[in-house]
Amino acid sequence: MKRSETSARKICIVVMGLFGALAAVMLLTAICIFCLAPAAKWAGFCLIAGAVVAVAFLLFFAYNLGKFAGENEDAITAAARRQKIKKVLIYIGIYTFLTVIAITVLFPFYFMLISSVKTVDEYQLATPTLWPREFRWSTYAAAFTGDLHLGRLFLNTVIVGVVSTLLSLVVTVLSAYAFARLEFRGKNVLFALLLATMMIPGELFTVTNYITVSAFHWLHTFAVLIVPFLVSVFYIYLLRQNFMQIPNELYLAAKVDGTSDLKYLWKVMIPLSAPTLISITILKMMGSWNSYMWPQLVANDTLHRLVTVGIRQADFSISGQPGMTDFPAQMAAIVLVTIPLLLVFIFFRKYIMRGVSRSGIKG
Amino acid sequence: MKNKIGAIILASTMLCTVAVGFTGCIQEGEINNGSTVDDLANVPLATSGGFVMPEGGFDITKPVEITFYHTMGKVLQEKLDYQLELFKELFPNITVKASKYGNYDDVHTQISTEISASNQPNIAYCYGDHVADYNVSNAVFAMNDFLPGGTYANETVTLESGKVYNLGLTEAEQKMFIEGFYNEGHMFDDGKMMYMLPFAKSTEVMFYNKDFFEDNNLKVPTTWDELWDTCERILEIDPECIPFGYDSESNLFITLCEQNDSAYTYPTGTAVNRFRFDNEKNRAFVQSLTKNFLNGYFTTQELNNGTYTSNLFTSLVEPKCYMCVGSTAGGQYQKPPLVNGEYAFEAGIAQIPQVDPAHPKAISQGPSVCIFKDKDPQKVLASWLLVKYLTTNIEFQADFSIDSGYMPPIKMEYMETCEAYKAQLDEANGTTGIAALSAKMCLEQKDAYFTSPAFVGSSKARTEVGLLIQAAFDAQNLEEMDEKIDQAFKDAVNRCIDFIT
Amino acid sequence: MSKTKEKPKNNLRAWLYLTPAIVILLVFTVWPIINTIRIAFLCRWDSNLAAVVGYDYQTAMNPNIHYQFGFNNFVNVLSAGNSFLTALGNTMLLTVLTVPISTMLALLIAVALNSIKPLKKVFQTIFFLPYVTNAIAIGMVFAAMFSMVRRTPTTDPTSVGIINNLFGLFGGSPVNWMDRGSSYWANIAVLVIYIVWNALPFKILVLLGGLQSVNKQYYDAAKVDGASRWRIFWRITVPMLSPMIAYVVITGFIGGFKEYTSVVGIFGDDMGPYGKPGRLDTMVGFIYNSIPHNQGKASAAALILFVIIFAVTMINLYVSKKKVHY
Repeated sequence: MKRSETSARKICIVVMGLFGALAAVMLLTAICIFCLAPAAKWAGFCLIAGAVVAVAFLLFFAYNLGKFAGENEDAITAAARRQKIKKVLIYIGIYTFLTVIAITVLFPFYFMLISSVKTVDEYQLATPTLWPREFRWSTYAAAFTGDLHLGRLFLNTVIVGVVSTLLSLVVTVLSAYAFARLEFRGKNVLFALLLATMMIPGELFTVTNYITVSAFHWLHTFAVLIVPFLVSVFYIYLLRQNFMQIPNELYLAAKVDGTSDLKYLWKVMIPLSAPTLISITILKMMGSWNSYMWPQLVANDTLHRLVTVGIRQADFSISGQPGMTDFPAQMAAIVLVTIPLLLVFIFFRKYIMRGVSRSGIKG
Repeated sequence: MKNKIGAIILASTMLCTVAVGFTGCIQEGEINNGSTVDDLANVPLATSGGFVMPEGGFDITKPVEITFYHTMGKVLQEKLDYQLELFKELFPNITVKASKYGNYDDVHTQISTEISASNQPNIAYCYGDHVADYNVSNAVFAMNDFLPGGTYANETVTLESGKVYNLGLTEAEQKMFIEGFYNEGHMFDDGKMMYMLPFAKSTEVMFYNKDFFEDNNLKVPTTWDELWDTCERILEIDPECIPFGYDSESNLFITLCEQNDSAYTYPTGTAVNRFRFDNEKNRAFVQSLTKNFLNGYFTTQELNNGTYTSNLFTSLVEPKCYMCVGSTAGGQYQKPPLVNGEYAFEAGIAQIPQVDPAHPKAISQGPSVCIFKDKDPQKVLASWLLVKYLTTNIEFQADFSIDSGYMPPIKMEYMETCEAYKAQLDEANGTTGIAALSAKMCLEQKDAYFTSPAFVGSSKARTEVGLLIQAAFDAQNLEEMDEKIDQAFKDAVNRCIDFIT
Repeated sequence: MSKTKEKPKNNLRAWLYLTPAIVILLVFTVWPIINTIRIAFLCRWDSNLAAVVGYDYQTAMNPNIHYQFGFNNFVNVLSAGNSFLTALGNTMLLTVLTVPISTMLALLIAVALNSIKPLKKVFQTIFFLPYVTNAIAIGMVFAAMFSMVRRTPTTDPTSVGIINNLFGLFGGSPVNWMDRGSSYWANIAVLVIYIVWNALPFKILVLLGGLQSVNKQYYDAAKVDGASRWRIFWRITVPMLSPMIAYVVITGFIGGFKEYTSVVGIFGDDMGPYGKPGRLDTMVGFIYNSIPHNQGKASAAALILFVIIFAVTMINLYVSKKKVHY
């Protein structure tokens, strides 16, 4: 034992202890201030300072780690450890970064949830509470019973979503099958033409489609929300690719057995491409749930209004005070609109992400 | 690839050049700001609207079904249904299908679509600008033939009972209407064609805190100058208040145009010629309003964060306001608040401030009804009979007014023949009976009503002058005021022209 | 004629299967392309209105009104009042601001995600959440977060809003983000934050997918060479990822030029804060608002939008052709 090393260790421990204590005090103070008087301007500084000290503590700890390990250490293991320590620090950095982003992403959801159950008075507090003092669930009931008629909006949206998804699946499967399995004159030209239409922004179609549906007397009907979007070239393309991967031998074998085309399609092709079909179904349903522009233009009446249009145009005024928004009530309605989407996401994450990464479009 | 991009750039450059060239041409169009405003309300009506009476007149034997689009809520619909039953007794062959379509805009949208498919209803609730819009496709029936002096004014229908019923609007019936409201029906184009009859009306009145005025020995202002003096005095008494509130910026602008006899809009002519509101007189009153706004004398609905200034009027805490101009249809919101079971103060109602109190002006609002052309003249006649029946039916007008808060378009002396309505008017007071009080006040100022002409773009002009006032009030101080006002006027006119071209 | 290896036997059946799709595409895709171009160049000189007015369906049904071929719709869109130019300016500004920010951020996040093992799935799921939400509804949540809260309309705000509160923690003074009298740049800041928040998931997903398919050997080789992380990032990760980056940038630009729902979500149908409706209008917003009453103008604007998107996509492709390593 060399004395100098022992004293160095002691100094290290003391400095570290000081650092650690300081960091802990700062962070604790920050947390206390946040809870007691979140409005205080120096709470943020305290937090930052606490974090800086804590990081300094970690750095100091890491670089002096060797000092604690004591004797009998050769150069190579020391270098390896240093390397390892550096890695740990980088990981700490990465995780901190990801956590900060994750909090940013989640915060609006958190805000929406807590606000939805606050009373109007609590929402108006100068310093927002981070947890509701008192839960007001009536906001949720009001979304269904009040002027918003959320039940009706949900019903309309589900009708449009289900019908358009089913019809769209039929059309898509038939077309994809024709392109993938059948031989006919002009197939490649037609397919190329279809793909070409994908390049054109939808707004170019909307103008004439508005005229067309007016001429059909379709304004303010369900048809106007369903028919114009039945065919998605992208989905046909996606499914065709999928169908093409199914070995041709299966088809020929079925032909030999005398199975009809439709039966083969139903018994073999569709089960084998189930994942793609599920992706299409989910994206299509989410599309109806989230669509705003077209429904707002062509079917904006009580009997056909879809949920997104309804929620945007609803009047969430505090009763007797027209123009003063009842934010909690608004947030409750938004929570109700968001929950089905989140549920679908939880159960079908894989399919959604798969569909999305290929499409580049929302819904 | 390079060639393609080159081609695109070339093409877009060409397009832009052409576009700019055309712009130059258009802006040299006729500009006529100096013309005086012709008063369409005084234009004599044409004797014919072009209706051709079928042989034998109205056929009371042939069943005919007509449709009526409105926005009435449940209670009003019951009243309407009751009247439709009575009407059915008069004309058993006419079946009326009345349907509710959301709000006024919904009715407008629905009918616009239906006109394009020649599928429109027979009768509808309307505002002037809707009718102007429908008339782009020549869809609205001109009532002239059936008005006093018209081609078929003296035609009659013999009812089943043998009674003779006037098909046309008799002179006696016409006299029942308050003139300003009746004249709204022909504020289109050259003013000679009558397209609407007034159905339910509202206007603006000034509510004031009677107790406060009496306690402080204040006189209720009748002119704008008096109003600003009163505001100054009120601020001395209560420095934290905003003495005066005016709900609708658009109405404020349009009413001041009328009161100052300055140009606002004109229903025909070039796009530039239609929007005449950028003139010296108007700039002067906007300047005066801005100064008074900066003095803290008043606020408006939008500047009040979109809430009616009645909230300030009925507020128990500062900032309060002691005078407030609002729609009579919203009269119940001006009801003073209850404190321990008693009304906090008593409200009074006065005419809105005027430029010339001898010739008062107040805006006319609220729905009218119009009739659409139809291939079947029997349907048009049936629709006309119903419209005439409903608009001149005192009992219905009284019921409608009591339940909706709107005022009838019928003069007071006729309305008072209805017991229920008279009872309602007798209950007028500054607390519970405030709606009746405002109705009474409105019926009394029957010569004050005016409307601005309706044409495609008139509703845009209305929105834009409202925004113009808000933009002018953005000025933080007198120095930047002139610049803001200049910009606000230019922007508003530009946006109007942009809208209709 | 054509040399058919195999006789096309399925002609009839194939066309039968394709009929529904083709009919719908003809009516709602092919015809619109032709017709929209046609009516973009149609307009009338209205004697009643005494102005050059674009095509609108209702009037077009009137046999007495005739339309002429010309550029007037484009003139009207690009000149008087300038509401289209405002929309164009807003759209360009939002695109130019949001695409680089969201791409950079997404790249950083994807690289970070790719370098960790524990909790990776959790983070991935969290980062994807904004994608499965309703852009309008969550826009309203952002609006609530940035708005000031008042008890009565005229009193000073009782709460400056949660975002201002957070800023306050770090000594910032409250900003009027989007209420009456808010500045244009404050409005834009809110929009940029929301659009970036909304655009991240897709970009992260694509970039992470790209990163995972990069061959690990490149990294191992680089490590043997003793290259720094920074160097590895710029010399290996970015080039290997360049096709994905090009993809997210192009789709980002296309999405940016079609921006509309974010503005509606936050500012409502008025497309602007109180007292300034239309201040934050976008090109798509302009098109949609013009459709009911003036389809001529809407068509002209839609064509301009198409040309812009096409041009930007081409430029992007051209640039990436030079820079992207396939």
